[in-house]
Amino acid sequence: MQASSAVLAANGSPASRGPLTSRRYALELRQQMAWPKQALILAISLAIGFGISAAILVAAGVPAGELLNEFVLHTLFDLQSLQAVLFQAAPMILVGLGATMAFRARFWNLGLEGQMIWGAIGATAISFLDIGPPALRLPLMLCMATALGLLWALAPALLKLRLGVNEIISSLMLNYIAGNFLLHLVYGAWKDPKDSFPYSPQFRSFERLPEWFGNTAPAAIALALVVTALAWWFVGISRAGLYLRFVDANPRMAHAVGVPVRRMILSAVLLSGALSGVAGFVVVAGQEGRLTQAFYAGYGVSGVLIAFLARNNPLAATVVALLVAALFVAGRNLQVFYQIPFSMVQLIQAIVVICVASSDFFIRHRIRAVVSQAG
Amino acid sequence: MATALQLTGIAKSFDGFKALSDAHFHARWGEVHALLGENGAGKSSLMNIAAGLYAPEAGQMWVDDNPVQLTGPRDAARHRIGMVHQHFKLVKPFTVAENIMLGNPLALGEGSHRRRLGQLEAQIRAKAQELGFDIDPRQRIEHLSIAEQQRVEILKVLLAGARILILDEPTAVLTDKEAERLLSTVHALAHSGAAVVLVTHKMADVKTYADRVTVMRGGCTVKTVDPKQVAMAELVQLTVGDSIAAPVRGRSPPGEARLRVRGVRTSEAGGRRALAGVDLTLHAGEIYGLAGVGGNGQSELAAALMGLDDQLFEGELVLEGFGDLARTSNAERRALQIAAIPADRYGIALAGALSVAENFGVGQVHDGRYGPTWRLNAKRMQLDARSAVAQFDVQGVRSLDQKAALLSGGNAQKLVLAREFGRVPRVVLAHSPSRGLDVRASADVHARLLAARDAGAAVLLISEDLDEVLALTDRVGVMARGRIVAEFEQPADRLSIGQAMVDHD
Repeated sequence: MQASSAVLAANGSPASRGPLTSRRYALELRQQMAWPKQALILAISLAIGFGISAAILVAAGVPAGELLNEFVLHTLFDLQSLQAVLFQAAPMILVGLGATMAFRARFWNLGLEGQMIWGAIGATAISFLDIGPPALRLPLMLCMATALGLLWALAPALLKLRLGVNEIISSLMLNYIAGNFLLHLVYGAWKDPKDSFPYSPQFRSFERLPEWFGNTAPAAIALALVVTALAWWFVGISRAGLYLRFVDANPRMAHAVGVPVRRMILSAVLLSGALSGVAGFVVVAGQEGRLTQAFYAGYGVSGVLIAFLARNNPLAATVVALLVAALFVAGRNLQVFYQIPFSMVQLIQAIVVICVASSDFFIRHRIRAVVSQAG
Repeated sequence: MATALQLTGIAKSFDGFKALSDAHFHARWGEVHALLGENGAGKSSLMNIAAGLYAPEAGQMWVDDNPVQLTGPRDAARHRIGMVHQHFKLVKPFTVAENIMLGNPLALGEGSHRRRLGQLEAQIRAKAQELGFDIDPRQRIEHLSIAEQQRVEILKVLLAGARILILDEPTAVLTDKEAERLLSTVHALAHSGAAVVLVTHKMADVKTYADRVTVMRGGCTVKTVDPKQVAMAELVQLTVGDSIAAPVRGRSPPGEARLRVRGVRTSEAGGRRALAGVDLTLHAGEIYGLAGVGGNGQSELAAALMGLDDQLFEGELVLEGFGDLARTSNAERRALQIAAIPADRYGIALAGALSVAENFGVGQVHDGRYGPTWRLNAKRMQLDARSAVAQFDVQGVRSLDQKAALLSGGNAQKLVLAREFGRVPRVVLAHSPSRGLDVRASADVHARLLAARDAGAAVLLISEDLDEVLALTDRVGVMARGRIVAEFEQPADRLSIGQAMVDHD
C-alpha cells in the first residue's frame, strides 16, 4: 500500500501571474523502505557529516592533505593508535549497549555515568577492602560492579514505574549524586596514602585485567564482545526480545495481549544499569588501575549517541562504538599535533550525529515534485 | 423566519464507505434545531461539513440564503458558523483567555499581547455574564470540570462571532443537572436570534428543548418534524427504522453460565461513573449482544473485561471453573482461552510497526508454543502465521515480515481474529468488531463469531450498530449510563430496544 498523501506542502515558486506551471514539493509519509536503500541514505548522510567536519578542521588550520592521513591511516594502521582505539572502545561498547537496552523499552536512561561510577566504586571496594582470594578477585570485582550499577538504575526505574517520575530528570540528577560521592571517596576514606592525590590506591596485579599482547585492551575488548553477544541474544533470540519489541512499538497493545510490560521495562533498565556498571569496571580495572575522580566524563553522552546512531541494535552499537572511539583517538592526535582544542572533536561528533539524525527524515518521507498548472 | 443554514443533497464518503448519501438540513434563525439519529447515521459528518471541516462530494450549502463553499473552519467562522465538538479542542495547560485567543486571533485589537489578553478577558467576562456562565478567564483549562470546559468552548465560538452554533452531543459528558442548565442556556441564546443546531441521540432533550428536529438514518435525512407534535414512539421509529423480523437461525439451547460479570463499576473521580454497576451473564454457546448509544460505558466495560489498561474498577468477573478474573494478568487470561477483539484495531489490537508474523505470534508465545524463554522459535511462528493468514483469508500480505500497519482495516481485523482464534476460545469478547469494515469483511467477522458460538464459546458482542446486534445475537442487553437497563430474548422487537437505548433519563 502506498503512503498517505501530502502531509506538508512547501510552495516552490512564489505566486506567479497567469496560468504558469508551478512546482510544489509534496512530502509523503513512506511506510517501508528496502534496507539497502536505507543504508545508502545513511552512508550519504555520514559522508556529508564527515565532509562538513573536514571543512571545519581545514578552516581551523589542519592541512587538507593531512586529514586522511591523520584520521584513517594514522588512527587505524598505527599499532599504538589502534591499541588506543580498542582501549577506548571497550567501555564505549558497554555503555552503548547499556543505553540500547533502556531505549528499547522507551526508557531514556541518562544516568549511564552514575551507574558507571557505582560500577567502578563496586569494583574498587572489593580491591580496597581486600575481599576474596586473589584467584576470584577479578570476577568478584566484576560481579560487584554489575550489582551496584544495576542498583543505581533501580531508583529511576521504580520512580518511573511507581510514581510516574520522569526518568530523564531523575536518572540525570542521580549522576551528580554518584559523582559527588565518588569525590567524597577519593578525597576522603579511599585516598591513596602514598602520595595523597585524589585517587584510590593502585590495584594489585591480580585486580587488573590480564595483559594479552602486552596490554589490557584485548581482554577489555573480549569482555565487551562477549557482552555484545549476550545483548544480541537477549534482544534478537530470546522471548524477552520479542516482548521488548512490542513494548517499544505499542505498550498499550503489548499489555493487552499479555506482554508483562512493566516487568520488561524494569528488566531492560536494570540491564542497562548493569552494563554501565561493567563499563565502570573495565575503566578502573583495565585502563586506570585505580578509582580516579573523573574517569567517567563524556561516557554518558557517548552511550546515548551510540545507541541512537545504532538504532538500538546491539551489533550496530558495537560497530558505532568503535567508530566513536576512533574519532576520539583521532581527535586526541589532532590535539597533540595541530593544537586543535578537544571541543573540536565534540563538535565533529555533534555534526555527524545531526547528519545521521536528519537522514531519518528521508527514510521516513518521500519528497516529490508536483508540477501543476497554476490558475 | 429566515433561513440560517441550509444543506441540500449532501454526499460524502470515507475510504469507500458512504457516510452521507443524500442529506438535507434546514435551520432557521431563532430556533433550536435538533439533529437526531443513531451512531453512524451521519449527523456528525453532516455538521462537520457545515463547520467547514470536510468538503462535501456533492450538494450545496447556503448561509442566510446565499450559496457558500467553505474552504475550512476559519472560513466557516467568517460565515459566523461555530461548532463545539464532542471532544473538546482546548490546550490544557493554557488559560481560558489564551485558548479563546488561539481560537480567533484576528478578532483582537491592537497593542501588546498583554493588553490584548486583558481586553479579551474583559470580553469573556461580559459574555459569560450574559450567558450566565461562571468562568474565570485566567483559570487554566486543566483545572476546569468537563462542564466548564464545554462552556469555554461555547464562549470561544461565540466570541469568534458565531451566530450559527453547532453543538455535537453536548450532553453526553454532562450530569443531568448540568445538561439541563446547558440546554436552557442555548435555548435562550436561540430565542435571542441565533440559530442552534443540537446534534444528539437523546429523545428527552429533543422533546423538551428543540423547536424542530431532523431525523437522520444511514446517511440520509428521514424527516423534519416538530417534536411537540409527534409522539415519542414515532420519533424512535423514525430513528431506528422499521422493524424487520430478525432472520430465524437455528440455535441450540445455551449451555452453562460461563462468565458472570457482577457489579462492575469504575470510580467516581472526574464526573459521573462510566460504569455504574454492570451485571450480566454469558452462557456457553450463545452470543450476547450489548447494544446502546456510544459513550454509555461500552468502552470502559470492554476495557475492564479485556484487561486493557490497568484501570481500577470494583466488582467481579467470575469465570466458570476458575474464579475471579479481575486480578488476573492478560497472559493468564489468554491461557484460559479468553479471546479479546478490542475496538481500536491499530491502537490496541495490533502493533503497526511490527511484522505480521510477530503480531500473530505474540498471542501464543506466552505458553511456550514458540520456544522456551531463552530461545524464540521464529521459524515455527512464521509457519503458523503463514497458515493462519491463509486460513483467515488475510489479504495484502506480501511477506510475513511486512509491517502490520500496512494492512487495510478489514485485513487488519482478520489478522486479529486469526491471532485470537488461534486456539479454540471459551470466551470471546468483541467490541465493535466490524466497525469501518466493508460488507464482505464484516460478513467474515460475523461468520467467525457465529462459528465460535457454535463451537461452544460464550461470545459477548458490544456494538453500537443495532442491525449487527439484532442479526447476530441470541440475547440483547441495552447499556445506558453505565449499566444494563434492559435485556431482551431474541427475536427481540427493534422498537423496544431502540426505546430502551434512549429512554433512560
